[in-house]
Amino acid sequence: MTFRHLAIALVAGHASIGSASAQETYVAGVEASFPPWAYVEEGEFKGIAIDAMRAIAEDQNLDVEFRDMPWPSLIPALAQGRIDLLVTGLNVTPERAEVLDFSIPWWENDDEILVAADSGKNMIDVLCCGATIGAQGGATQYAWIEENLVNREGVDVTLRGYEDYVVAVEDMLTGRTDAVVTSTDTAEEFISNGRPVRIVGTIQQNQPQALAVQKGDPRELLASLNRGIVNIYESGAWEEIVHTYSPQASIRQIPTAMPDFVDSYEEPIPGYSD
Amino acid sequence: MIFEIIINHIPYLLGGLWVAIQLLACVLVIGFVFGLLLALAEVYGHWSLRWSGIAFERVFRGIPELVLILMCFYGVGNWFPIDPFPAAVLALGLRSTAYQSQIFRGVIQAVPTGQVAAARAIGMSGVQAVCHVVLPQALRQVPGPWSNEFSSELKATSLAYVIGVVELTRQGKYIISSTQGNILIVFAVVALLYFVVNWLGNRVIYRAERALEIPGLERGEGD
Repeated sequence: MTFRHLAIALVAGHASIGSASAQETYVAGVEASFPPWAYVEEGEFKGIAIDAMRAIAEDQNLDVEFRDMPWPSLIPALAQGRIDLLVTGLNVTPERAEVLDFSIPWWENDDEILVAADSGKNMIDVLCCGATIGAQGGATQYAWIEENLVNREGVDVTLRGYEDYVVAVEDMLTGRTDAVVTSTDTAEEFISNGRPVRIVGTIQQNQPQALAVQKGDPRELLASLNRGIVNIYESGAWEEIVHTYSPQASIRQIPTAMPDFVDSYEEPIPGYSD
Repeated sequence: MIFEIIINHIPYLLGGLWVAIQLLACVLVIGFVFGLLLALAEVYGHWSLRWSGIAFERVFRGIPELVLILMCFYGVGNWFPIDPFPAAVLALGLRSTAYQSQIFRGVIQAVPTGQVAAARAIGMSGVQAVCHVVLPQALRQVPGPWSNEFSSELKATSLAYVIGVVELTRQGKYIISSTQGNILIVFAVVALLYFVVNWLGNRVIYRAERALEIPGLERGEGD
């Protein structure tokens, strides 16, 4: 509990990384309550996306500063140019592709159906017929449940939105919801942290994840990001980072499938096609 | 195990508390200065000043703090970029100005108007009467009602995390998300820290209240 620690704690949220020079510093928005992708432990930003961004910054000689914001604020903040890029486990979706530009995707995710460990229910019980399901508001899982279950005649489920998955799971454990639908990484994180939850089913999504910049890439960051992603993938640094946080995760080939609704995946892709 | 984690995180929680206290200090100073000016304008100003003061105060007392914070960060940020901390200071400062103006208006109006008339009768100007007769008495009545404002603004600083100010509440959330749980115990520690600051702050204010009491108008203890 030294003064130095206190000083570090004070600047957490404004920690600067990358090469120290007079060059421009880019502000990377993160939601630091999203392990294993981005979180804060003892005042330091950690996670796959954070470490990978640090490696990319070093590889591409960028100055990047992380700024933590709650999840619902992140995409609006990027769309408005309050931050320069978004570094988290961000799913590539058509709606988001309208307002931001994605880097080449570096991950693919499925969704898992979590129930309380002592719940006797199976995946049909918790996704149908009067069940209540929790998900993070604004997340792809929320949108998927809304579109495929809530809005479908005869399914009859209630969907509850939460600010983050920790509270969604907490609410499920108190018995107010029957299940929580979250990404594979997050689900495994809950289990490895010893939360009394179990997976009763997987929704195969092959959902690509990527970094994002402002629409039209006004800061001309995409080429550096794409080049950096490929470089850290090829050097093996990416695999090392992923396995530091998720030892069992299987590494996908980068880039993973690139959906054609994303403008920034049209040839030539900056920093990748050349 | 969670206790060990919390103990390791105490410096960061205290760091978050320090950010909250800085935010609180900025907000209260802004509120004090502009609240006093607004109150003087409302009581003694030309009718146009009076009405704009009242309009300002009605508007900013009538909007939830959270909405104000989001408006300052995203709304104002549309025209000129503003960082999270100054945005929070601006939003809560406007609100505190509106509330403190009502505290000051109350204490100024509590000074009998006859005193101003008497001051004018012995040759003081209007400004002199306010500065030498009204304010010295009025400001000494401020600490009581002001302790409410202190407490409510301290608690309002916790809202600033929504725009990315890493204060105490956000530091607490970091522990919750990195351990994927422990909501009750972590927020209990956070609550305790807020409580202690609130309690200490109020003790200081009550002490000031007693020290500043106007002889003959004491709050009468034990009688």
